Amino acid sequence: MIARGFSNPTERIEKLKRVILDATPYVESERAVLVTEAYKETEGLSPILRRAKAAEKIFNNLPVTIRDNELIVGAITKNPRSTEICPEFSFDWVEKEFDTMGSRIADPFQIPKQTAQELHDAFLYWPGKTTSDLATSYMSQEAKDCMGAGVFTVGNYFYGGVGHVSVDYGKILEKGFRGIITEVVEAMEKMDRCDSDYIKKQQFYNAIIITYTAAINFAHRYAEKAMELASAEMNSARKGELLQIARNCSKVPENGATNFYEACQSFWFLQCMLQIESSGHSISPGRFDQYMYPYYKNDPSITKEFAQELIDCIFIKLNDVNKTRDEISAQAFAGYAVFQNLCVGGQDEEGMDATNDVSYMCMETVAHVKLPAPSFSIRVWQGTPDEFMFRACEVTRLGLGVPAMYNDEVIIPALVNRGVTLNDARNYCIIGCVEPQCPHKTEGWHDAAFFNVAKVLEITLNNGKAGNQQLGPVTGDITTFSCIDDFFTAFTKQIKYFVHYLAEADNSVDIAHAERCPLPFLSALVDDCIGRGKSVQEGGAIYNFTGPQAFGVADSGDSMYAIQKNVFEDKTMTLTELKNALDANFGQPVGGKNTLSIDTNEMTTEMKVYEVVKKILSTNGSIDLSKLSDEVLGMGSVQNTCGANEYLKIQGLLNRTPAFGNDIDEVDMMARKCAQIYCKEVEKYTNPRGGQFQAGIYPVSANVLFGKDVAALPDGRLATMPLADGVSPRAGKDVNGPTAAANSVAKLDHFSASNGTLYNQKFLPAALEGDKGLQTFAALVRSFFDHKGMHVQFNVIDKKTLLAAQKDPDKYRDLVVRVAGYSAQFTVLAKEVQDDIISRTEQSF
Amino acid sequence: MEINYDLEGIVFDIQRFSIHDGPGIRTIVFLKGCPLACWWCCNPEAQSIKPIMMYQIGRCIHCGLCLSVCPQGALSAQNPGFIDRNKCIACGECAKICPTEALVLKGKTMTIKEVMDILRKDEAIYRHSNGGVTISGGEALVQHEFTTELLKACQVNGWHTAMETTGYTTSEQALNEVFTYLDLVLMDVKSGDDETHKKYTGVSNALIQQNARKITEKARTVVRVPTIPGVNADEKSFRNICDFAATLSGVDTIHILPYHTYGENKYDLLGRPYRMGKTPSLTQNQIEILKDVVESKGFHCIIGG
Repeated sequence: MIARGFSNPTERIEKLKRVILDATPYVESERAVLVTEAYKETEGLSPILRRAKAAEKIFNNLPVTIRDNELIVGAITKNPRSTEICPEFSFDWVEKEFDTMGSRIADPFQIPKQTAQELHDAFLYWPGKTTSDLATSYMSQEAKDCMGAGVFTVGNYFYGGVGHVSVDYGKILEKGFRGIITEVVEAMEKMDRCDSDYIKKQQFYNAIIITYTAAINFAHRYAEKAMELASAEMNSARKGELLQIARNCSKVPENGATNFYEACQSFWFLQCMLQIESSGHSISPGRFDQYMYPYYKNDPSITKEFAQELIDCIFIKLNDVNKTRDEISAQAFAGYAVFQNLCVGGQDEEGMDATNDVSYMCMETVAHVKLPAPSFSIRVWQGTPDEFMFRACEVTRLGLGVPAMYNDEVIIPALVNRGVTLNDARNYCIIGCVEPQCPHKTEGWHDAAFFNVAKVLEITLNNGKAGNQQLGPVTGDITTFSCIDDFFTAFTKQIKYFVHYLAEADNSVDIAHAERCPLPFLSALVDDCIGRGKSVQEGGAIYNFTGPQAFGVADSGDSMYAIQKNVFEDKTMTLTELKNALDANFGQPVGGKNTLSIDTNEMTTEMKVYEVVKKILSTNGSIDLSKLSDEVLGMGSVQNTCGANEYLKIQGLLNRTPAFGNDIDEVDMMARKCAQIYCKEVEKYTNPRGGQFQAGIYPVSANVLFGKDVAALPDGRLATMPLADGVSPRAGKDVNGPTAAANSVAKLDHFSASNGTLYNQKFLPAALEGDKGLQTFAALVRSFFDHKGMHVQFNVIDKKTLLAAQKDPDKYRDLVVRVAGYSAQFTVLAKEVQDDIISRTEQSF
Repeated sequence: MEINYDLEGIVFDIQRFSIHDGPGIRTIVFLKGCPLACWWCCNPEAQSIKPIMMYQIGRCIHCGLCLSVCPQGALSAQNPGFIDRNKCIACGECAKICPTEALVLKGKTMTIKEVMDILRKDEAIYRHSNGGVTISGGEALVQHEFTTELLKACQVNGWHTAMETTGYTTSEQALNEVFTYLDLVLMDVKSGDDETHKKYTGVSNALIQQNARKITEKARTVVRVPTIPGVNADEKSFRNICDFAATLSGVDTIHILPYHTYGENKYDLLGRPYRMGKTPSLTQNQIEILKDVVESKGFHCIIGG
């Protein structure tokens, strides 16, 4: 018997979970008001000190909220699952959406009248002063044009903080905030006043001391609040809990933790405060099992059950954090995603397996809590115990879309190839969706941009034009091309051109963050900022990267192969015919339904057949098969509509061309080549922090949104339809089963896409039944990883359930799916994203 | 071991990631040709050893492309089922050009090497799942020389080999060679009653029963019963089958494969009638009763394989 089953969560956990599920997300105004006051009071100070003063004001004044039944406390907002606003990065999109954010399709947030008024008043201060204003002023018109045309977007850090980091949780658990202050004081004592950068360092250190002093006070305010609640509490059990909370908060995170409960509380304060300092998302707990385990192992008094409940509480707290984004980004990141990625398992720095009790307890928690956060990941290597692997598969079988599984055997060498030391690479964790980094030593700037490779292909097919605009270089009229290499040559030139502007745009935003929003709280927790005396934003981290991610790889590869096969090999169409068909969107209205899709076509034919059968039956009383076929075919006017069908025929030939995802080398190599052209171009660039650009291939849900900007493609895809998701094959095109699809995906060069790749596979629950199901599943993952795939995650749900959930969202609120890199409640996703999930191939058996 | 990698056979499908036809995760090679013609056959396109065309009207957009490439003039809207099967030589030219895959050629000539190239793609999955390769059909004994070479080629890679068979062959060579290279035989037993057997499969079960004794002497064998309502899905038939299985050497497991209609639409595509009509599927309860029979006879019983 491999399957072990899962225990039930405690009543407390059920109640806390209910609060999250029932929450209506609000926008709150306190932080925005406080930061604005602080900035008004500090004009003339250096940016780092202004940030410190702002943090000080916020930590000293943000409302203190302890929710009923909580054991772990600390909240960013008064209302559960709500959000504060950070106007120092950008604000105008919030103002624009005051009236509509409560009712928009993706991720609505309520903004009460008074909140809107307070925000409006605060925003009056900010025009011209935000990071996004500064970034805009640094960007060239060409870069802006590229973004306008949908080739890429750097919206993530243009509108908000950077986030995307895993800090030194272990250090705070051990030494507390006092330890940071001591470290800084020691560093200050070592400084020489005649050092050239003395002034800047001095300001940085002072900023840390100011920030951490206020951060300690933030926890103390919770201690006071807990005492206050305790004195009014009638229930003696709860009173006891509140008194314990008060003791915990007066001790940690100011000081090191001395038991598991304190460690949990200390962890949470840190996680919470990082997300108060900046709006950056993907603040990732990383290797939670590694830094928490010593406090569990060495806690003589804690029971396993209580430790389990505390971890459950932390996981629920992670769901209390929320972010709002502008309407477009909200669609791209649909599902109230905050991307706090927590990973367990894998190797330690010495290359030994690091799986421990806490790794398994986290899996139990996932089954208890069943909420979208955290993004839960496991690391897998050849030495991963089978028991751990089977347990992970058992969690997967719950249908929550987690854990995402990562391959140490690819990621470690990929990071080493980027200059990370072997020991640091072995210690990697996952940030945000799928991005690997060495924790607390890296400013990875993962998620630096979405780059639409399929759009670049479209531009290539149009000789550098996007619509009527000559956006890219002139690379030749494709109807004059004589072989597929001509296409690749032109495509490479276009990629080169657009990546250049991508780098420019990213670096503009990067500098704007360094100049306007260096973050002292975060910087003290990333090596070697204190040693170097400068913030993360200014290059204080040991490893610095910029990671723009591509999507549309399968679409581009399949398009190239379709041209190669149909035009140059089979000669079933000429380039002119192909070009005309593409220009005409295969004769179909843009944004309309694909009439060639088998579903609709079959339906109409079936209807025809049905009508004919009815007619024959009513006159003859029996059916003559030959007569039936005559009648039906006659209705379709067989031969005389060839002209009208020309586009459909071309689209049909393109559609039936073998696609990426079927383990056919010559097809898969096209996708590999398209991805590599992008990756190799990206890594030529450097960022202002002194680090290298590195590509990723994952789309979050941008493949749906950015598909709208892309015209018809030679793979038969109609204009505006979704693109392929991450490194996954195009929806419905992987027809040779899951091993073939996985092999295809593994043929991409995941080592050069070191900012992360994302592969989604969907299974019906029936496929994973019983112990054999777990073994099957584990074998699939292990063999995909043998082939050097980097990441895989599974949706184990059936289509019927998803359709039902679309119709009746209230009944399916706890249906969590993995949407390209993260889990979300299915019912809160935009309809189109839901449809995309449903249409992805269901691997059935 | 000498293996002739250039030997050719007629393959109609290679299905990867199969989990119901032998242990672990397997790739199934379906070979064409079968001496039986079971009413419920879900792979009717495999019965003839020759390649065969299938036409799916629902996919057809009537573009007329196929009409111009057919060397036989076998295609016409006037033909019942579009294809004139007397003229069609299954050259597949129309299938190559058909934009919507309404026309599909089933069956192609492949060498052992070509088949092995595909099987090798899932080598890692065999290793991690204790899976392997299963040869199926049709009846793989029809192409026994090809089957033998393929099994040998699998075994030199250390892969677990299995075969699904009706047990029907008149070739002594087939019996002697094929089963030497098999780790597991999945042997279909349809009926202990010869009249029933003749009626629904087109052949007597005498030869099959005789072969079964030889096969089970050579390789570990599991008996599989395609369980068909109105044919053998009753306690008496099952007792009969179990009694027969008990006479075979080393058979300790019987699989119940409940009747399904997944193959029904293929009859339309081939322009042939489906003789099972509207036979309903078995209920879970009916299956459980039969399982009890199997277990009461001392066999281990698995539903669905």
